[in-house]
Amino acid sequence: MRPAGTVSDAKIEIRGLSKSYSTGHGSLLAIDTVDLTLAEGEFVSIVGPSGCGKSTLLYVVGGFLSADGDVLVDGTPIRGPGTDRGIVFQDYALFPWLTVRRNILFGLERRDVPQAERDAVADRLIGVIGLKGFEHRYPRELSGGMRQRVAIARTMACDPAVLLLDEPFGALDAQTREMMQDELLRIWLDTRKTVLMITHDVSEAVYLSNRICIMSARPGRIVEEFSVDLDRTLPREELVVSEPFNRLRNAVWLSVRRQAVAAAHADPG
Amino acid sequence: MRRLARLAPLAPLARIVPLLLFVAAWHLVGVAGLVDPAFLPPPGRVAVALVDLLRGGQIGDNIAVTLLRAFTGLALGATAGVWIGVMMARSEVFDAYAAPLVGATYSLPKSALVPLFILWFGIGSTTAICATFLACLLPVVVNTHHGVATTPKVLVWSAQAMGFSDREMLGRVFLMHALPDIMTGLRIALGFSFVLAISSEMIAANSGIGKLIFMYGENGTYDYMFAAITSVVAVAFSADRALLAVTHRILRWHDSAVPAADAA
Repeated sequence: MRPAGTVSDAKIEIRGLSKSYSTGHGSLLAIDTVDLTLAEGEFVSIVGPSGCGKSTLLYVVGGFLSADGDVLVDGTPIRGPGTDRGIVFQDYALFPWLTVRRNILFGLERRDVPQAERDAVADRLIGVIGLKGFEHRYPRELSGGMRQRVAIARTMACDPAVLLLDEPFGALDAQTREMMQDELLRIWLDTRKTVLMITHDVSEAVYLSNRICIMSARPGRIVEEFSVDLDRTLPREELVVSEPFNRLRNAVWLSVRRQAVAAAHADPG
Repeated sequence: MRRLARLAPLAPLARIVPLLLFVAAWHLVGVAGLVDPAFLPPPGRVAVALVDLLRGGQIGDNIAVTLLRAFTGLALGATAGVWIGVMMARSEVFDAYAAPLVGATYSLPKSALVPLFILWFGIGSTTAICATFLACLLPVVVNTHHGVATTPKVLVWSAQAMGFSDREMLGRVFLMHALPDIMTGLRIALGFSFVLAISSEMIAANSGIGKLIFMYGENGTYDYMFAAITSVVAVAFSADRALLAVTHRILRWHDSAVPAADAA
Protein backbone atom coordinates (compact mmCIF):
# COMPACT_ATOMS: atom_id res chain seq x y z
CA MET A 1 0.00 0.00 0.00
CA ARG A 2 2.98 2.32 0.12
CA PRO A 3 3.28 4.95 -2.58
CA ALA A 4 6.07 4.48 -5.04
CA GLY A 5 9.13 6.64 -4.83
CA THR A 6 8.93 7.80 -1.22
CA VAL A 7 9.55 4.53 0.53
CA SER A 8 12.36 4.68 3.04
CA ASP A 9 12.65 4.01 6.76
CA ALA A 10 9.53 4.23 8.89
CA LYS A 11 9.41 7.67 10.49
CA ILE A 12 6.30 7.09 12.58
CA GLU A 13 4.87 3.75 13.60
CA ILE A 14 1.51 3.54 15.29
CA ARG A 15 0.90 0.05 16.68
CA GLY A 16 -2.34 -1.26 18.11
CA LEU A 17 -3.39 2.14 19.35
CA SER A 18 -6.64 2.34 21.33
CA LYS A 19 -7.98 5.23 23.31
CA SER A 20 -11.00 5.30 25.57
CA TYR A 21 -12.48 8.08 27.62
CA SER A 22 -14.37 7.63 30.83
CA THR A 23 -17.66 9.48 30.75
CA GLY A 24 -20.58 9.75 33.12
CA HIS A 25 -22.10 6.72 31.38
CA GLY A 26 -19.07 4.49 31.55
CA SER A 27 -16.12 4.13 29.24
CA LEU A 28 -16.25 5.34 25.64
CA LEU A 29 -13.94 3.85 23.04
CA ALA A 30 -12.72 6.66 20.77
CA ILE A 31 -10.03 4.83 18.77
CA ASP A 32 -9.94 1.09 18.25
CA THR A 33 -6.59 -0.66 17.52
CA VAL A 34 -5.20 1.62 14.85
CA ASP A 35 -2.05 0.54 13.04
CA LEU A 36 -0.37 3.02 10.74
CA THR A 37 3.17 3.53 9.49
CA LEU A 38 4.43 6.72 7.91
CA ALA A 39 7.58 6.57 5.82
CA GLU A 40 10.15 9.34 6.05
CA GLY A 41 8.97 12.23 3.87
CA GLU A 42 5.48 10.85 3.40
CA PHE A 43 2.34 13.00 3.50
CA VAL A 44 -0.54 10.99 4.96
CA SER A 45 -4.07 12.28 5.49
CA ILE A 46 -6.71 10.80 7.72
CA VAL A 47 -10.25 11.46 6.55
CA GLY A 48 -13.42 10.41 8.33
CA PRO A 49 -16.82 11.49 9.54
CA SER A 50 -16.90 14.08 12.31
CA GLY A 51 -16.48 12.70 15.81
CA CYS A 52 -14.61 9.62 14.60
CA GLY A 53 -11.61 10.27 16.83
CA LYS A 54 -9.22 11.39 14.11
CA SER A 55 -8.10 14.45 16.05
CA THR A 56 -7.68 12.29 19.15
CA LEU A 57 -5.34 10.05 17.14
CA LEU A 58 -3.28 13.10 16.16
CA TYR A 59 -3.08 14.33 19.77
CA VAL A 60 -1.85 10.90 20.87
CA VAL A 61 0.87 10.99 18.19
CA GLY A 62 1.70 14.51 19.38
CA GLY A 63 2.14 13.10 22.89
CA PHE A 64 -0.53 15.35 24.39
CA LEU A 65 -2.84 12.46 25.26
CA SER A 66 -1.92 9.04 26.51
CA ALA A 67 -3.39 5.87 25.02
CA ASP A 68 -2.99 2.11 24.91
CA GLY A 69 -0.59 0.81 22.27
CA ASP A 70 2.61 2.28 20.91
CA VAL A 71 3.68 5.31 18.97
CA LEU A 72 7.27 5.17 17.75
CA VAL A 73 9.21 7.98 16.13
CA ASP A 74 12.41 6.78 14.47
CA GLY A 75 11.89 3.48 16.27
CA THR A 76 11.77 5.05 19.74
CA PRO A 77 8.53 5.10 21.74
CA ILE A 78 7.40 8.66 22.45
CA ARG A 79 7.14 9.97 25.99
CA GLY A 80 4.93 13.01 25.76
CA PRO A 81 5.30 15.98 23.42
CA GLY A 82 8.61 16.61 21.70
CA THR A 83 10.28 19.11 19.41
CA ASP A 84 10.58 16.40 16.74
CA ARG A 85 6.82 16.72 16.17
CA GLY A 86 5.44 20.16 15.36
CA ILE A 87 1.71 20.72 15.40
CA VAL A 88 -0.66 23.16 13.71
CA PHE A 89 -4.20 23.44 15.07
CA GLN A 90 -7.41 24.35 13.28
CA ASP A 91 -7.97 27.44 15.43
CA TYR A 92 -4.35 28.58 15.03
CA ALA A 93 -3.42 28.56 18.75
CA LEU A 94 -1.29 31.67 18.38
CA PHE A 95 -0.23 33.44 21.56
CA PRO A 96 -2.52 36.49 21.47
CA TRP A 97 -0.10 38.57 23.57
CA LEU A 98 2.76 38.18 21.10
CA THR A 99 3.21 39.94 17.78
CA VAL A 100 3.52 37.98 14.54
CA ARG A 101 7.30 38.08 14.77
CA ARG A 102 7.47 37.04 18.40
CA ASN A 103 4.97 34.24 17.83
CA ILE A 104 7.17 32.89 15.04
CA LEU A 105 10.27 33.10 17.24
CA PHE A 106 8.58 31.66 20.34
CA GLY A 107 10.02 28.19 19.90
CA LEU A 108 13.57 29.50 19.52
CA GLU A 109 13.40 31.34 22.87
CA ARG A 110 14.53 28.35 24.85
CA ARG A 111 17.18 27.31 22.36
CA ASP A 112 20.68 28.62 22.18
CA VAL A 113 20.27 30.48 18.91
CA PRO A 114 22.30 33.65 18.27
CA GLN A 115 20.28 36.82 17.73
CA ALA A 116 21.45 37.23 14.14
CA GLU A 117 20.22 33.75 13.28
CA ARG A 118 16.88 34.41 14.99
CA ASP A 119 16.42 37.55 12.93
CA ALA A 120 17.28 35.63 9.78
CA VAL A 121 14.77 32.87 10.58
CA ALA A 122 12.03 35.41 11.33
CA ASP A 123 12.72 37.47 8.21
CA ARG A 124 12.81 34.41 5.97
CA LEU A 125 9.58 32.90 7.34
CA ILE A 126 7.72 36.23 7.32
CA GLY A 127 8.74 36.47 3.66
CA VAL A 128 7.62 32.90 2.93
CA ILE A 129 4.16 33.48 4.40
CA GLY A 130 3.87 36.88 2.72
CA LEU A 131 3.32 38.90 5.88
CA LYS A 132 5.99 41.56 5.46
CA GLY A 133 4.70 44.74 7.04
CA PHE A 134 2.59 42.78 9.52
CA GLU A 135 5.48 41.63 11.77
CA HIS A 136 4.44 43.82 14.65
CA ARG A 137 0.71 43.17 14.52
CA TYR A 138 -1.03 41.13 17.18
CA PRO A 139 -3.04 38.05 16.16
CA ARG A 140 -6.37 39.79 16.83
CA GLU A 141 -5.50 42.28 14.11
CA LEU A 142 -5.07 39.55 11.46
CA SER A 143 -7.52 37.67 9.25
CA GLY A 144 -8.02 33.93 9.68
CA GLY A 145 -5.80 33.12 6.73
CA MET A 146 -3.00 35.33 8.03
CA ARG A 147 -3.22 33.76 11.48
CA GLN A 148 -2.96 30.27 10.04
CA ARG A 149 0.09 31.29 8.01
CA VAL A 150 1.71 32.59 11.20
CA ALA A 151 0.86 29.31 12.97
CA ILE A 152 2.53 27.32 10.19
CA ALA A 153 5.56 29.63 10.23
CA ARG A 154 5.82 29.30 14.03
CA THR A 155 5.91 25.52 13.70
CA MET A 156 8.37 25.64 10.78
CA ALA A 157 10.72 27.91 12.77
CA CYS A 158 11.37 25.00 15.13
CA ASP A 159 12.16 22.82 12.11
CA PRO A 160 10.46 19.63 13.37
CA ALA A 161 11.01 16.42 11.44
CA VAL A 162 7.30 15.61 11.59
CA LEU A 163 4.38 17.97 10.96
CA LEU A 164 1.05 17.16 12.60
CA LEU A 165 -1.80 19.12 11.06
CA ASP A 166 -5.18 19.15 12.78
CA GLU A 167 -7.72 20.30 10.16
CA PRO A 168 -5.39 23.20 9.52
CA PHE A 169 -7.56 24.97 6.97
CA GLY A 170 -10.98 24.00 8.34
CA ALA A 171 -11.79 27.49 9.58
CA LEU A 172 -10.86 29.30 6.36
CA ASP A 173 -13.03 30.40 3.45
CA ALA A 174 -12.75 28.42 0.20
CA GLN A 175 -10.41 30.81 -1.65
CA THR A 176 -8.03 31.28 1.27
CA ARG A 177 -8.04 27.54 1.90
CA GLU A 178 -6.90 26.79 -1.67
CA MET A 179 -4.12 29.37 -1.43
CA MET A 180 -2.98 27.91 1.86
CA GLN A 181 -3.04 24.37 0.44
CA ASP A 182 -0.80 25.50 -2.40
CA GLU A 183 1.54 27.13 0.09
CA LEU A 184 1.66 23.99 2.22
CA LEU A 185 2.27 21.83 -0.84
CA ARG A 186 5.15 24.09 -1.87
CA ILE A 187 6.65 23.98 1.62
CA TRP A 188 6.29 20.20 1.72
CA LEU A 189 7.87 19.74 -1.74
CA ASP A 190 10.75 21.98 -0.53
CA THR A 191 11.36 20.37 2.83
CA ARG A 192 9.96 16.83 2.41
CA LYS A 193 8.93 16.63 6.02
CA THR A 194 6.84 13.72 7.18
CA VAL A 195 3.27 14.99 7.49
CA LEU A 196 0.24 13.53 9.21
CA MET A 197 -2.84 15.61 8.43
CA ILE A 198 -6.38 15.32 9.76
CA THR A 199 -9.05 16.70 7.49
CA HIS A 200 -12.68 16.23 6.53
CA ASP A 201 -12.13 17.82 3.14
CA VAL A 202 -11.75 15.00 0.60
CA SER A 203 -10.41 17.21 -2.21
CA GLU A 204 -7.82 18.65 0.16
CA ALA A 205 -6.65 15.17 1.12
CA VAL A 206 -6.35 14.07 -2.51
CA TYR A 207 -4.65 17.30 -3.54
CA LEU A 208 -1.97 17.18 -0.82
CA SER A 209 -1.32 13.59 0.24
CA ASN A 210 0.71 10.55 -0.81
CA ARG A 211 -1.72 8.34 1.01
CA ILE A 212 -5.21 8.70 2.45
CA CYS A 213 -6.56 6.63 5.33
CA ILE A 214 -10.29 6.47 5.87
CA MET A 215 -11.40 6.29 9.47
CA SER A 216 -14.70 4.77 10.55
CA ALA A 217 -17.14 6.46 12.86
CA ARG A 218 -16.59 5.95 16.59
CA PRO A 219 -14.82 3.86 17.60
CA GLY A 220 -12.33 5.11 15.03
CA ARG A 221 -10.68 2.39 12.98
CA ILE A 222 -8.76 2.70 9.76
CA VAL A 223 -11.04 0.92 7.30
CA GLU A 224 -9.54 1.74 3.93
CA GLU A 225 -6.40 3.24 2.40
CA PHE A 226 -5.83 4.98 -0.90
CA SER A 227 -2.48 5.62 -2.51
CA VAL A 228 -2.26 8.90 -4.32
CA ASP A 229 -0.07 8.97 -7.40
CA LEU A 230 -0.76 12.24 -9.12
CA ASP A 231 1.47 14.43 -11.21
CA ARG A 232 2.50 17.16 -8.73
CA THR A 233 4.09 19.22 -11.47
CA LEU A 234 0.65 20.08 -12.87
CA PRO A 235 -0.81 23.40 -11.78
CA ARG A 236 -3.89 23.13 -9.57
CA GLU A 237 -6.37 24.18 -12.25
CA GLU A 238 -5.23 21.34 -14.52
CA LEU A 239 -4.85 18.77 -11.78
CA VAL A 240 -8.25 19.18 -10.16
CA VAL A 241 -10.13 18.79 -13.44
CA SER A 242 -8.01 15.82 -14.57
CA GLU A 243 -9.53 12.36 -14.80
CA PRO A 244 -7.19 10.59 -12.31
CA PHE A 245 -7.75 13.30 -9.68
CA ASN A 246 -11.52 13.06 -9.91
CA ARG A 247 -11.61 9.28 -10.07
CA LEU A 248 -9.66 9.11 -6.83
CA ARG A 249 -11.60 11.95 -5.24
CA ASN A 250 -14.90 10.16 -5.96
CA ALA A 251 -13.60 6.87 -4.60
CA VAL A 252 -12.42 8.54 -1.37
CA TRP A 253 -15.64 10.50 -1.09
CA LEU A 254 -17.75 7.33 -1.43
CA SER A 255 -15.66 5.59 1.19
CA VAL A 256 -16.11 8.44 3.69
CA ARG A 257 -19.77 8.62 2.79
CA ARG A 258 -20.24 4.94 3.62
CA GLN A 259 -18.72 5.55 7.05
CA ALA A 260 -20.90 8.58 7.68
CA VAL A 261 -24.06 6.71 6.65
CA ALA A 262 -23.10 3.74 8.82
CA ALA A 263 -22.55 6.13 11.71
CA ALA A 264 -25.95 7.75 11.19
CA HIS A 265 -27.66 4.34 11.27
CA ALA A 266 -25.75 3.13 14.28
CA ASP A 267 -26.27 6.29 16.28
CA PRO A 268 -29.58 8.02 15.50
CA GLY A 269 -29.08 11.27 17.33
CA MET B 1 -23.36 56.52 14.84
CA ARG B 2 -22.75 59.83 13.05
CA ARG B 3 -24.39 61.82 15.84
CA LEU B 4 -22.26 60.04 18.40
CA ALA B 5 -19.17 60.74 16.36
CA ARG B 6 -20.01 64.44 16.29
CA LEU B 7 -20.48 64.47 20.06
CA ALA B 8 -17.24 62.63 20.67
CA PRO B 9 -15.04 65.71 21.19
CA LEU B 10 -17.50 66.91 23.83
CA ALA B 11 -17.50 63.58 25.64
CA PRO B 12 -15.15 64.51 28.52
CA LEU B 13 -17.20 67.65 29.17
CA ALA B 14 -20.49 65.79 28.79
CA ARG B 15 -19.42 63.37 31.50
CA ILE B 16 -19.16 66.25 33.99
CA VAL B 17 -22.79 67.31 33.41
CA PRO B 18 -24.39 64.66 35.69
CA LEU B 19 -21.87 65.58 38.36
CA LEU B 20 -22.79 69.26 38.11
CA LEU B 21 -26.49 68.37 38.25
CA PHE B 22 -25.85 66.38 41.40
CA VAL B 23 -24.07 69.29 43.08
CA ALA B 24 -26.88 71.65 41.98
CA ALA B 25 -29.51 69.31 43.45
CA TRP B 26 -27.49 69.08 46.67
CA HIS B 27 -27.38 72.88 46.83
CA LEU B 28 -31.12 73.21 46.14
CA VAL B 29 -32.03 70.72 48.86
CA GLY B 30 -30.23 72.96 51.34
CA VAL B 31 -31.71 76.20 49.95
CA ALA B 32 -35.25 74.76 49.96
CA GLY B 33 -34.83 73.77 53.59
CA LEU B 34 -35.67 70.12 52.97
CA VAL B 35 -32.82 69.00 55.21
CA ASP B 36 -31.27 70.84 58.14
CA PRO B 37 -28.08 72.45 56.72
CA ALA B 38 -26.32 71.42 59.93
CA PHE B 39 -26.60 67.79 58.79
CA LEU B 40 -26.21 68.43 55.07
CA PRO B 41 -23.93 71.42 54.60
CA PRO B 42 -24.35 73.05 51.17
CA PRO B 43 -21.59 72.46 48.58
CA GLY B 44 -20.29 76.01 48.94
CA ARG B 45 -19.45 75.53 52.63
CA VAL B 46 -17.90 72.14 51.92
CA ALA B 47 -15.70 73.76 49.27
CA VAL B 48 -14.54 76.38 51.76
CA ALA B 49 -13.76 73.66 54.31
CA LEU B 50 -11.89 71.68 51.65
CA VAL B 51 -9.69 74.66 50.78
CA ASP B 52 -9.05 75.22 54.49
CA LEU B 53 -8.02 71.57 55.01
CA LEU B 54 -5.83 71.55 51.91
CA ARG B 55 -4.09 74.77 53.03
CA GLY B 56 -3.60 73.42 56.52
CA GLY B 57 -2.08 70.22 55.14
CA GLN B 58 -4.44 67.93 57.09
CA ILE B 59 -5.76 66.30 53.92
CA GLY B 60 -2.39 65.90 52.27
CA ASP B 61 -0.75 64.37 55.34
CA ASN B 62 -3.60 62.02 56.18
CA ILE B 63 -4.24 60.92 52.60
CA ALA B 64 -0.54 60.08 52.32
CA VAL B 65 -0.78 57.87 55.41
CA THR B 66 -3.96 56.21 54.13
CA LEU B 67 -2.50 55.62 50.66
CA LEU B 68 0.62 54.09 52.14
CA ARG B 69 -1.51 51.63 54.15
CA ALA B 70 -3.88 50.91 51.27
CA PHE B 71 -1.13 50.35 48.72
CA THR B 72 1.01 48.27 51.06
CA GLY B 73 -1.96 45.99 51.71
CA LEU B 74 -2.77 45.97 48.00
CA ALA B 75 0.78 45.13 46.94
CA LEU B 76 1.09 42.32 49.49
CA GLY B 77 -2.40 41.00 48.72
CA ALA B 78 -1.90 41.10 44.96
CA THR B 79 1.49 39.38 45.12
CA ALA B 80 0.24 36.63 47.42
CA GLY B 81 -3.03 36.46 45.45
CA VAL B 82 -1.33 35.83 42.12
CA TRP B 83 0.89 33.19 43.69
CA ILE B 84 -1.99 31.39 45.43
CA GLY B 85 -4.19 31.65 42.32
CA VAL B 86 -1.49 30.11 40.13
CA MET B 87 -0.81 27.34 42.64
CA MET B 88 -4.51 26.53 42.95
CA ALA B 89 -4.90 26.32 39.18
CA ARG B 90 -1.76 24.25 38.63
CA SER B 91 -1.63 21.94 41.65
CA GLU B 92 -4.52 19.70 42.59
CA VAL B 93 -3.11 19.09 46.05
CA PHE B 94 -2.72 22.80 46.75
CA ASP B 95 -6.20 23.43 45.39
CA ALA B 96 -7.68 20.77 47.66
CA TYR B 97 -6.37 22.65 50.70
CA ALA B 98 -6.86 26.22 49.52
CA ALA B 99 -10.26 26.03 47.78
CA PRO B 100 -12.34 25.47 50.96
CA LEU B 101 -10.52 28.34 52.71
CA VAL B 102 -11.04 30.67 49.77
CA GLY B 103 -14.68 29.63 49.46
CA ALA B 104 -15.32 30.19 53.16
CA THR B 105 -13.65 33.59 53.37
CA TYR B 106 -14.55 35.00 49.94
CA SER B 107 -17.86 36.58 50.90
CA LEU B 108 -16.86 37.37 54.48
CA PRO B 109 -16.80 41.16 55.04
CA LYS B 110 -13.16 41.64 56.01
CA SER B 111 -14.05 44.65 58.18
CA ALA B 112 -15.63 42.18 60.60
CA LEU B 113 -12.09 41.02 61.37
CA VAL B 114 -10.77 44.46 62.31
CA PRO B 115 -11.61 44.03 66.05
CA LEU B 116 -9.63 40.80 65.95
CA PHE B 117 -6.63 42.57 64.41
CA ILE B 118 -6.87 45.30 67.05
CA LEU B 119 -6.64 42.59 69.65
CA TRP B 120 -3.52 41.15 67.99
CA PHE B 121 -1.77 44.21 66.56
CA GLY B 122 -3.25 47.13 68.49
CA ILE B 123 -4.18 50.52 67.05
CA GLY B 124 -2.29 51.64 63.97
CA SER B 125 -0.88 50.78 60.58
CA THR B 126 -0.41 47.03 61.09
CA THR B 127 -4.10 46.51 61.72
CA ALA B 128 -5.11 48.63 58.71
CA ILE B 129 -2.60 46.88 56.45
CA CYS B 130 -3.68 43.40 57.57
CA ALA B 131 -7.32 44.14 56.90
CA THR B 132 -6.45 45.65 53.51
CA PHE B 133 -4.21 42.71 52.65
CA LEU B 134 -6.98 40.18 53.31
CA ALA B 135 -9.55 42.16 51.38
CA CYS B 136 -7.24 42.52 48.35
CA LEU B 137 -6.06 38.92 48.45
CA LEU B 138 -9.28 37.12 47.55
CA PRO B 139 -10.39 38.91 44.37
CA VAL B 140 -6.86 38.50 43.00
CA VAL B 141 -6.76 34.79 43.97
CA VAL B 142 -10.12 34.07 42.36
CA ASN B 143 -9.41 35.98 39.15
CA THR B 144 -5.86 34.66 38.74
CA HIS B 145 -7.10 31.13 39.31
CA HIS B 146 -9.75 31.58 36.64
CA GLY B 147 -7.31 33.11 34.15
CA VAL B 148 -4.71 30.37 34.57
CA ALA B 149 -7.23 27.52 34.67
CA THR B 150 -8.92 28.64 31.43
CA THR B 151 -5.68 28.69 29.42
CA PRO B 152 -6.66 26.88 26.19
CA LYS B 153 -5.20 23.41 25.83
CA VAL B 154 -3.97 24.19 22.34
CA LEU B 155 -1.75 27.00 23.67
CA VAL B 156 -0.25 24.69 26.28
CA TRP B 157 0.20 21.91 23.73
CA SER B 158 1.78 24.28 21.22
CA ALA B 159 4.34 25.36 23.81
CA GLN B 160 4.95 21.74 24.87
CA ALA B 161 5.56 20.74 21.26
CA MET B 162 8.19 23.50 21.13
CA GLY B 163 9.94 21.96 24.11
CA PHE B 164 8.75 24.17 26.97
CA SER B 165 8.40 22.64 30.42
CA ASP B 166 5.58 23.52 32.81
CA ARG B 167 7.93 25.79 34.72
CA GLU B 168 9.03 27.60 31.57
CA MET B 169 5.42 28.03 30.51
CA LEU B 170 4.40 29.67 33.79
CA GLY B 171 5.47 33.19 32.86
CA ARG B 172 5.29 32.78 29.11
CA VAL B 173 1.89 31.13 28.77
CA PHE B 174 -0.17 30.76 31.95
CA LEU B 175 0.44 34.16 33.53
CA MET B 176 0.17 35.93 30.20
CA HIS B 177 -3.13 34.25 29.51
CA ALA B 178 -4.33 35.18 32.99
CA LEU B 179 -3.22 38.82 32.70
CA PRO B 180 -6.63 40.25 31.71
CA ASP B 181 -8.23 38.43 34.66
CA ILE B 182 -5.45 39.47 37.01
CA MET B 183 -6.00 43.10 36.03
CA THR B 184 -9.73 42.70 36.69
CA GLY B 185 -8.94 41.26 40.12
CA LEU B 186 -6.51 44.08 40.77
CA ARG B 187 -9.15 46.69 39.97
CA ILE B 188 -11.59 45.12 42.42
CA ALA B 189 -8.79 44.87 44.98
CA LEU B 190 -7.92 48.54 44.51
CA GLY B 191 -11.47 49.50 45.46
CA PHE B 192 -11.37 47.19 48.48
CA SER B 193 -8.01 48.61 49.57
CA PHE B 194 -9.57 52.05 50.08
CA VAL B 195 -12.64 50.63 51.79
CA LEU B 196 -10.62 48.60 54.28
CA ALA B 197 -7.84 51.11 54.90
CA ILE B 198 -10.35 53.87 55.65
CA SER B 199 -12.84 51.81 57.64
CA SER B 200 -10.14 50.32 59.82
CA GLU B 201 -8.67 53.79 60.38
CA MET B 202 -12.07 54.89 61.63
CA ILE B 203 -11.98 52.42 64.47
CA ALA B 204 -8.33 51.56 64.91
CA ALA B 205 -5.93 54.38 64.09
CA ASN B 206 -4.73 57.78 65.24
CA SER B 207 -4.02 59.05 61.76
CA GLY B 208 -5.24 58.69 58.19
CA ILE B 209 -8.12 60.16 56.25
CA GLY B 210 -10.52 57.63 57.79
CA LYS B 211 -9.64 58.88 61.25
CA LEU B 212 -10.09 62.47 60.06
CA ILE B 213 -13.56 61.77 58.63
CA PHE B 214 -14.59 59.95 61.80
CA MET B 215 -13.28 62.73 64.03
CA TYR B 216 -15.13 65.51 62.18
CA GLY B 217 -18.26 63.35 62.24
CA GLU B 218 -17.98 62.89 66.01
CA ASN B 219 -17.41 66.62 66.51
CA GLY B 220 -20.38 67.51 64.34
CA THR B 221 -18.27 69.62 61.98
CA TYR B 222 -20.04 68.17 58.99
CA ASP B 223 -18.74 70.63 56.41
CA TYR B 224 -15.20 69.43 57.25
CA MET B 225 -16.32 65.80 57.25
CA PHE B 226 -17.83 66.25 53.78
CA ALA B 227 -14.65 67.97 52.59
CA ALA B 228 -12.54 65.02 53.75
CA ILE B 229 -14.92 62.56 52.08
CA THR B 230 -14.74 64.58 48.85
CA SER B 231 -10.96 64.31 48.88
CA VAL B 232 -11.22 60.51 49.27
CA VAL B 233 -13.62 60.32 46.33
CA ALA B 234 -11.19 62.32 44.18
CA VAL B 235 -8.17 60.22 45.13
CA ALA B 236 -9.95 56.87 44.73
CA PHE B 237 -11.33 57.91 41.37
CA SER B 238 -7.89 59.03 40.14
CA ALA B 239 -6.29 55.79 41.32
CA ASP B 240 -8.91 53.74 39.49
CA ARG B 241 -8.43 55.76 36.28
CA ALA B 242 -4.67 55.39 36.53
CA LEU B 243 -5.00 51.62 36.90
CA LEU B 244 -7.37 51.51 33.92
CA ALA B 245 -4.86 53.44 31.81
CA VAL B 246 -2.07 51.03 32.78
CA THR B 247 -4.34 48.05 32.09
CA HIS B 248 -5.24 49.43 28.71
CA ARG B 249 -1.60 49.85 27.89
CA ILE B 250 -0.41 46.38 28.87
CA LEU B 251 -3.44 44.66 27.29
CA ARG B 252 -3.05 46.27 23.85
CA TRP B 253 -3.04 42.75 22.41
CA HIS B 254 -6.29 41.71 24.06
CA ASP B 255 -9.72 41.72 22.41
CA SER B 256 -10.93 44.11 25.08
CA ALA B 257 -8.47 46.72 23.86
CA VAL B 258 -10.01 49.55 21.87
CA PRO B 259 -8.27 52.39 20.06
CA ALA B 260 -7.21 55.02 22.59
CA ALA B 261 -9.60 57.60 21.13
CA ASP B 262 -12.64 55.43 21.92
CA ALA B 263 -11.53 54.46 25.41
CA ALA B 264 -13.86 55.53 28.15
